[in-house]
Order: sequence, then C-alpha cells, then structure tokens
Amino acid sequence: MSQANASQSLKRHMGLKASQRISNTTAHIVLVIISVIWLIPFVCILLQSFRVESTYPVGYVKPEKWGLDNYRNLFNTDFPRWYVNTLVMALCTAALQTVIVLCMSYTLSRFRFKMRKPLMQFMLILGMFPGMLTMIILYRVLKDLGMTQANSVPGLILVYVASSGMGYYVSKGFFDTISKSLDEAARMDGATRFQVLKKIILPLSKPIVIYTVLTAFMGPWGDFVFARYIAFGTSSGMNVAVGLYNWLNRDQIANNYTMFCAGGVLVAIPVTILFMCLQKYYVEGVTGGAVKG
Amino acid sequence: MASVKLTGVKKIYDNKVVAVHDFDLEIKDKEFVVFVGPSGCGKSTTLRMIAGLEEISEGTLEIDGEVVNDLQPKDRDIAMVFQNYALYPHMTVFDNIAFSLRLKKMPEDEVFEKVTQAAEILGITEYLTRRPRALSGGQRQRVAIGRAIVRNPKVFLMDEPLSNLDAKLRNQMRAEIILLREKLNTTFVYVTHDQTEAMTLGDRIVIMKDGFIMQVGTPEEVFDTPHNLFVATFIGSPQMNLFSAELTQEGTGYTVSYRNIRVPLDAERCALLKAHGVSGTKKVILGVRPEHMTLCFNGEENAAHGVIAVNEMMGSELHLHVESGEEKNVILRIPTIELSAAQRASLVHGSDLGFTFSSKVVQLFDPETEQSLLFS
Amino acid sequence: MKTLTDLEYLKLSKGQRLVHRICSFFASIPTGLKNLVLSIGRGIGKAAVGIKDEFADLWNTFKNGDTPTRVSYLIMGFGNLCRGQILRGLLFLLFEIVFIAYMALSGWYWLSMLPSLGKVGPVKEYNVIYDTYVTTYHDNSFKILLYGVLTIFFIIAFIYTWRVNIRQNKLAMQILRSGKKLKSGKDDLRSLVDDQFHKTLLALPLTGILIFTVLPIVFMVLVAFTNYDGNHDGYINNLFSWVGLDNFNTMLSWSGGGVNYSATFGEVLTWTLIWAFFATFTNYFLGMLVAMLINKKGVRIKKLWRTVLVLTIAVPQFISLLYVSKMFAKNGIINGALMDLGWITQALPFWEDPTWARITVIVINIWIGIPYLMLISTGILMNIPQDLYESSRIDGANAWQQYTKITLPYMLFVTGPYLLTSFTGNMNNFNVIYLLTGGAPTNAAASGAAGAVGYTDLLITWLFKITTGADAQYYLASVVGIMVFVVVAVISLVVYRLLPSNRNEEDFQ
Repeated sequence: MSQANASQSLKRHMGLKASQRISNTTAHIVLVIISVIWLIPFVCILLQSFRVESTYPVGYVKPEKWGLDNYRNLFNTDFPRWYVNTLVMALCTAALQTVIVLCMSYTLSRFRFKMRKPLMQFMLILGMFPGMLTMIILYRVLKDLGMTQANSVPGLILVYVASSGMGYYVSKGFFDTISKSLDEAARMDGATRFQVLKKIILPLSKPIVIYTVLTAFMGPWGDFVFARYIAFGTSSGMNVAVGLYNWLNRDQIANNYTMFCAGGVLVAIPVTILFMCLQKYYVEGVTGGAVKG
Repeated sequence: MASVKLTGVKKIYDNKVVAVHDFDLEIKDKEFVVFVGPSGCGKSTTLRMIAGLEEISEGTLEIDGEVVNDLQPKDRDIAMVFQNYALYPHMTVFDNIAFSLRLKKMPEDEVFEKVTQAAEILGITEYLTRRPRALSGGQRQRVAIGRAIVRNPKVFLMDEPLSNLDAKLRNQMRAEIILLREKLNTTFVYVTHDQTEAMTLGDRIVIMKDGFIMQVGTPEEVFDTPHNLFVATFIGSPQMNLFSAELTQEGTGYTVSYRNIRVPLDAERCALLKAHGVSGTKKVILGVRPEHMTLCFNGEENAAHGVIAVNEMMGSELHLHVESGEEKNVILRIPTIELSAAQRASLVHGSDLGFTFSSKVVQLFDPETEQSLLFS
Repeated sequence: MKTLTDLEYLKLSKGQRLVHRICSFFASIPTGLKNLVLSIGRGIGKAAVGIKDEFADLWNTFKNGDTPTRVSYLIMGFGNLCRGQILRGLLFLLFEIVFIAYMALSGWYWLSMLPSLGKVGPVKEYNVIYDTYVTTYHDNSFKILLYGVLTIFFIIAFIYTWRVNIRQNKLAMQILRSGKKLKSGKDDLRSLVDDQFHKTLLALPLTGILIFTVLPIVFMVLVAFTNYDGNHDGYINNLFSWVGLDNFNTMLSWSGGGVNYSATFGEVLTWTLIWAFFATFTNYFLGMLVAMLINKKGVRIKKLWRTVLVLTIAVPQFISLLYVSKMFAKNGIINGALMDLGWITQALPFWEDPTWARITVIVINIWIGIPYLMLISTGILMNIPQDLYESSRIDGANAWQQYTKITLPYMLFVTGPYLLTSFTGNMNNFNVIYLLTGGAPTNAAASGAAGAVGYTDLLITWLFKITTGADAQYYLASVVGIMVFVVVAVISLVVYRLLPSNRNEEDFQ
C-alpha cells in the first residue's frame, strides 16, 4: 500500500522533471531558430561583400570566387569622403547633443519654475508634428546660408543638434530617480546649483551620459532623410547612408551591388562594436525610458 | 548658537493649498525643539522653510535677529540631516563630510583635522575611506550627522533622522543624539512623527496638525495639560481613553459621571473649570490615560463594567482592551507586580471586569470645539 | 445611467460588467464635453481677467510710479539705470534700440508685405545693351513669409520684455520702500549659476528649438494656406500668395480639381493606421514572448541570445533594411533559395503584389522591432515581484493563467505610455517603409498630381515624396503634415485618457 503510494509520487516527480527538460529543450531550439533568422541577413551581406565574380544581385549566397576587390574599389569612389563626413557629423553631434539634452533634462527634472509644465506640454505638442515638415524650410534657409549640398556637413550638424532639446524624456526619467535630497543636502552644504550639477549629479549619471552620447552618435551615423534632403544630389556632401542608397538605384545597382555590401560592412562594424561595448548602458536607458514614459 | 524666530510664517503652494498656517514660534538659543505631528501636518514643510529649501509664502523668519527669508540655504549657516541621509553615493565618507568645507575653500590640512575630529566624536573613524553603500543604516546616519556638525552651524535641523532605522538602533541613536546635543551645545530643530522621540528629546515640543500648531510646551506640559483632544490623544502610548460623559456643577464643585462612575473633581480642576466659565450640566468628552485607570475586583459601586476583548501581556505590565458599552476599546495598563496570581488568572479574554479612575487624572474636553475645558 | 455602488458592481457577471462599463463610458461623454466647453469658457474668462489685470497694473504702476518708472514706459531700462542696476538697464536699453532699428530698417517692410506675400514677381524684359531677354527678380514671397513670421515673434518678445521692464520698476520701488537693497549686476550674474541656473541651462536648447522647430512649424502651417509649390517658389518663377482654405478643401472634399486627393488621403491614412497597429502590437507581444523565453529558468547563455537579437539595433537601418529589401526582391536570395529547394516554381511577388508587400513590411518590421521590446520587457519582467508568482502558484494558477493574470496586466500597466508613443512613432516610421519599398507597388488609381502614391506609402513617406522633385507641392505637404498632427494628437489624447497608468511624475522622485 505505502509502496504503491511512494511509486506514484515518484512518478509525479519524474513527470515534473521530464516536462521541464522537454520545455527547456524546446526553448533552446526556438532560440536557435530565432538567432539564425536574425543572423541570416548579416551573414549574407558579409558573404556578398567578398563576391568578385559579379557585381549585381544574385539568387545565391555563397560566392563562387572570393576576393577583396569590392573593398579595394570603395576607395576609388566617393565612399571615403562620405565616411569622413559621417564620422565628423556623428562625433560633433554626439558632443553637442549630449550637452543640450543634459541641460534640458536636468533643468526639467530639478527646477520647479512657473513655465515648466507649459513648456513640457508645448514640446509634447510640437513633437506631434512630423519633423520632416520642417525640412522644406530648413533646406531653403540653409541654402541661403551656403550650408547645403557640398557644404552640408555643418548644416546637417546644426539640424541634428538644434532641436535635440526635445528628446529629453529618457534622461529626465533617469535624473528623476536620483533622490532630490542629495541636491538639497549639497545646497545646504553651500553648493550653488551649478556646483550641485557638476559635483553631485553628473558623477552619478554616468549611465545616462553614455546612453545619450551613444544614441546621439548613432543617429547621424545612420541618418537618411535629413542627409538626403540637405546634401541633395551633391556627392561630396553626402553621408554614407545617402551615398550607399544611391548605389542601389535602378541604374547603378548592377555595377555597385557588391560594393554596397562591402561599404555596409565597413559602416556597420565600428558602430556595432561600439554598441556592443556600451550595450549595458543602452539597455538601462531604453528600459528606464519606456517605464517612465 | 543662535535663536530662531518665526512670525506669521505661512506656506501656500501654487495650487492654493495651505500647508502651514500662521506659524509663530520663538526658538531660544541652544534649545532643542521638536516638531511632531501626523504625516501631512506641515512639520517638515516648516523645517524646510527654516532651511531655505522651501520658499516662505508669508511672514518672516529670523535667525539670530536677522531676517533670512530671501537668503539661499547656503547663506543661512544652518545644517540639516535628512530622513534618507542623502549621502553622496560616489564619495567616500571622508569626502562626504569634507564636502561643505571644501566648497568653502578651506585649506586641506584644516579640512582633515575637522573631519577626523567629527569622525571621532561619532565613532566612524574606521569607515572614513568607505563609500556610503558599504555602511549599515546606523553608520550612514552617523555620517549624515558628521556632515552636519563639521560645519559648526548656528542651527541644526533634523528631518525624521531615525525613521529609517530599526527599533533597536533607533533607541540607541536616540540616546546618542541626546549625548551629541550636550557636546555640541547648539540650537536644534528636530522633526518626527514619533511621539516617544519627541518626548525624550525635546526641551519643548511643537505639536502640529493640518498646518496649525496645536500646542507648544515642555514634554511634561503637553502630557499633563493637553490643550485639546488632538494633543491628548497624540501624546502617550497607548493612547488616552475617551468616554462621552456628563459634567455637573454642584454648588462650588463639579462632578463628572460616566455610567456608574461619579467622580467629584478636586479643587484645582474645579477652579480651572470655573475659570473657563463652565456651568450647569454639560456633555463632555472625558479623557483618562490607560495607566491611570484602576481595576476594581471587589464589586465597588463607583465602577463601570466591561468585557475583556484582548489581553496583552507585555512583561512588566498588562494591557487590557475592554469593551464597555459605547466605548469599544477602553485600554487599561496594569503593572503586573500589583496583581496577585488569582487576580491575574481572572483577567482572561471574555471575563467581566470593573474599572474606575480618580479625580486627579481626569481630562475634560468640549465635544464641539474639542478644546480642553481645563487647560486651553 | 444608474451609478452602481461597488458592491452592486461586484455582483454583476462578467458580461454585465462589460456592458456596464461601455454604457458608463458613453454616458460620460456628454458630461465630458460639457466640462470641456466649460473649461474652455473658463480659460477664456481667466485670460480676459488676466489681460484686464495687466492693464490695470500698468496704469497703477504709472500712476503711483516715480519719474524713473514713468520714463521707463518710453525708454526701457531707464528706471534700472537710475536705481544703479546698470547691467539690467543697459540690456533693456540695448534690446529696445535693436528692436527699433530692426523694425525701421527691415521689420516694417516684411510686416507690410505679409498680407500680400509680394507684389512684383520676376520680370522678363528685353535688354537693349545685351540684346537679349533678362529676368530681373523683385519680391521674394518665401522670405516675406519667413521674415514676416520672425518679425511677429520679435514683436511679441519686445512686448513681453517691455512688460518685464515695467514690472521690474514696480518691484524695485517696493523693495526700496521696504528698506532693502536692490540686486546689483554682480548679484544678477551670480544668480545665473545658482537660483536662476535654469535660465542659463535652458537658454541654448530653447533657442535651438525656437529657431529650428517652432519657427519652421509655424511657417509650414501657414504654407498650407498658400499655393507655394514648385511652380510658385516665390522668387525665381512665380510669387505665391494666400489661398485661404482651398488646400484643405481639395484634400478633404470628394470633388477635388481633377485629382481625387481625398480618396488618396483616405487610403493612405487607412493603411497608416493598419500598419501602426500591427507594427506596434506584433512587436509588443512577440518581443515580450522572446524576452520571457530568454529569461526562462533553465535557458543557458542568455547573454548570447540577447546579443544576437540586439544586432539589428546596432547595425544602421539603411544597411540592414536596404539589404533585406533586396533579399526579398524577385531575383533575390529568398526567392532563389525557395526555388532551389523546389518549394515554388515562380518567384513570390513580395514587393510586386500590394497585399504581399504590406504583409512583408510588417513581417520585416518584426525583425527590426523585436529586439527593442525584448530589452524593454526584460527589464520590466525582472521587476515583477517574484512573490506574486509564488503566491499565484500556491493558489493553483498554471503558466498561462500566470501570464494573463499577472505578467500581462503588469506589463500593460507599466508600458501604457510607451505603447502610445510607439504607436505614433510607427505612424511616422519613415525608415522602414522608405528603405524597404519606397512605397511600392504604385497605386495607379490613387496616384496623380499628388506624387506617385504606393500601396505601402504611409502619410509620412507620401509627404516626403510630395516635397521632393521639381513639381513639389509644398502646400499639399503642409496640409498632409497638419493632418498627421491632428491624427496623432487625437489618438494620443483619447488613449491617454483611457490609460490606467495616468501617473503623477512626482511619484518617481
């Protein structure tokens, strides 16, 4: 009698373990499938960039002849120029935008002044207009100032940076989590507001500073719309996105497809490495931003 | 080392909510004043107005005779200890304490001397190189106090400094604050919601409710002569028992009666009632503290009866919660030493019990205004 | 509508509760509308009282003011200068001089031209000396509109500053009367890094926003009331002028001049909403699922799975999306592989067939979007208190019940605002659509003068197409932009009211 009971309970426990093993195996299989799907395009682009037997898109993945021709050929085009343009824009934007965003978000998190709420509501409403609409006029104004086409680098930096104060949400959310009594304690200790920011808040905000720099860098690095609008048809003023996009036009794709892949790899590698190194901070920012809305 | 004077101080928020109404108080030099009250009573707001962290909407604040309404916190020469300690997490204990001195551009060797001195007073010398994260609650509290004392401020403000500590540590730190106070010998303003802290620490206690001061006085005064129902019930634990009773004037004397109990009041209380112009027969709220209740075992006439609902054995004393007619929770605090074994055995859940009280301990309140008929 | 007490409500069955809630929602609409109208009315009333108070205050200050104060009504900063606040006084004075100079030199011209947007267009004349036709250019409608708006901004700023100048005089008189000292220029400068630090910090960002966002948006909104387009660029070929509400008429009425804009607009808007809905919710649920899968107890090398997924965030979209779009092309890798496997004999029309194209962009968007949601939900899932799961297991809940009763409600509550922004973000998701399809396949029925509209075009890509090319129709783009704003605003407003997590920001501090 008691033996029967024991075996039954043993069976139940066995069942639990076995079902756990099955569900774990399934989970791993699913994850492997997902990973493969996620990796295929990147693997393909990498393989195609080494394909030298033809330069047009083909229906197979593995090159028949391998080589570095595509990478070598890149240097006979405007690609290096685009690359430098992009790098300069991304670095300048990262620096300036970080300063502006942090000023904005720190102020809105820490100061209580009369216009604060209306200001935030106003910016919320402004954000509902499609940003692209402003391009029409900005293009003409920048053109009058001589900051388009070949000179579009400073013009684009201005466009990227000028309105970046509106993207204060994520870092404000972060500042909101730093206890306000730290500010108060520091002010009682004799610090001015500026000293509070410099000596207390900034040292505590490393994750969000890095997040802001990272996103500010990645924005221009991959920007297509604004760059296309401002550089408008002048090769020397383009960034990599616009330049490479043009290579896939109907009349260019046959000659430049594999070169596009090579260029894409060169553009993706540095930013991917940067991103992977700073992933921790990025996750912190994204998660915090979503939770605080 | 300074006096603090608040005259008609008011705090009105942007949404027209009044957090503090006409706050008048003069804090003498080297006095330890405690603001106490339930949460939302405006005690912290008042403290933060003294600190300069909140704007003063109306009235004047003087420190050492100088009006400081418009001064920045850093220019008021005050120090404050926060409820959550507000230690700078990225600095070591030493840097935390030294922060204010360095902002004043004090030479580094002088900073060192002052910080180590403060650390010694508080017994945190061995933690000076640690970061706040690596400290226990009590140690953090000490660092926060150290940060305040090193500045040698005119006034020392403390905003619920002990409420984040566990009960045992709280008792210990309370004692240390008393010692510290003797060492520093300066003016203290202390905010707490805990009446025990208020009673043990304060030279004077300011009891607040809904932005109004209910009573200001020494611990003895607020305990023995509460001005109103709120103070009477807020101070003392377990809280004062309240009965709806009747007060009758009989010639020159007064008698208060509750159910079977009829207590003629003593001369002192009669004089006070007369001074308040109480006459005739009047419904009153009668207040008696649990420790002033007397048990009646022998079926005395002058006693009210009830049923024991809960019986709490606290060791040195017994707390009895009694249901007695209208009053559902009359509490009696009986020292165990005064009870015989047989008496103790009879005081169990559900058993009947008689109680009474003497004239000297009676508090009387007007049911409408809730003001004391004796001491307001 | 009968209001139920809590207990009565609890007695209802599930269906009855739902009916009750829907009924009470509709029942609350009239009250809501009434409150809205009332609050608008109250707002107007308040504003009127405010303006009246301002004028009364101005008059009283003048009446009770000393001479410096009175002179300040004409010469800004005079009071400050007389009272020893040199820095403030000079700044006020400088501002006034600059303003007057600007208005006299050019401001007045722009303002006077604003109602007409220019009178004389480019003139082609026979030039005897060069023996050829020479075009001379005159008014510039674009500049008139731009600088006209700028001048109005400037005038508003001037009036505000003038008012501040008066108020300062009043305050200074009060302070002096009470026997206190005024702030010196040095105090002012010092306060800029202390109690007025927020002004210093906000100066640069707000200037940027004002010039690069507010001004352009005001300009573009005004363009919707003009006929500004490729053939009326305002300077080189033709001037443009005000046309009132004509553009809105063409866009919204069913009888547009030859081209049926309203039908096109309706189609694009419908697809935009469908797209935003699917793009948001497929990502949301699948991302959550993937996050739960990775976080499952017993799953190994969690970090690796996460890193693989995050690749799509790291690699710039123009590379990955352009490449993927080529993969799905007729002669692309996907079709090639499927044919090699013998599963299909004819290439699948991923980009050629409208329905295929629409489904494909949504599917590829999952590939792009899941990683973000995976990261976000991982963070939130870890924050769900474990004891909730433990207690529910003791109560006898299975995995599915745990998901629907604990995980999902928690996630929805926390990410409510995020879902809203993500929805509106997807409505304006230019990159995915433009880089994948460019709007293709072309919708022959809807195309016309309004640019080549495709079946996968969103409002935002349509807008982009309208504004590029020689026959750009800026006025139309402006109308579309305003429509996008209206749609986004309405959705945000409605959803925000319905969100359970309508929280106070101070709760987080």
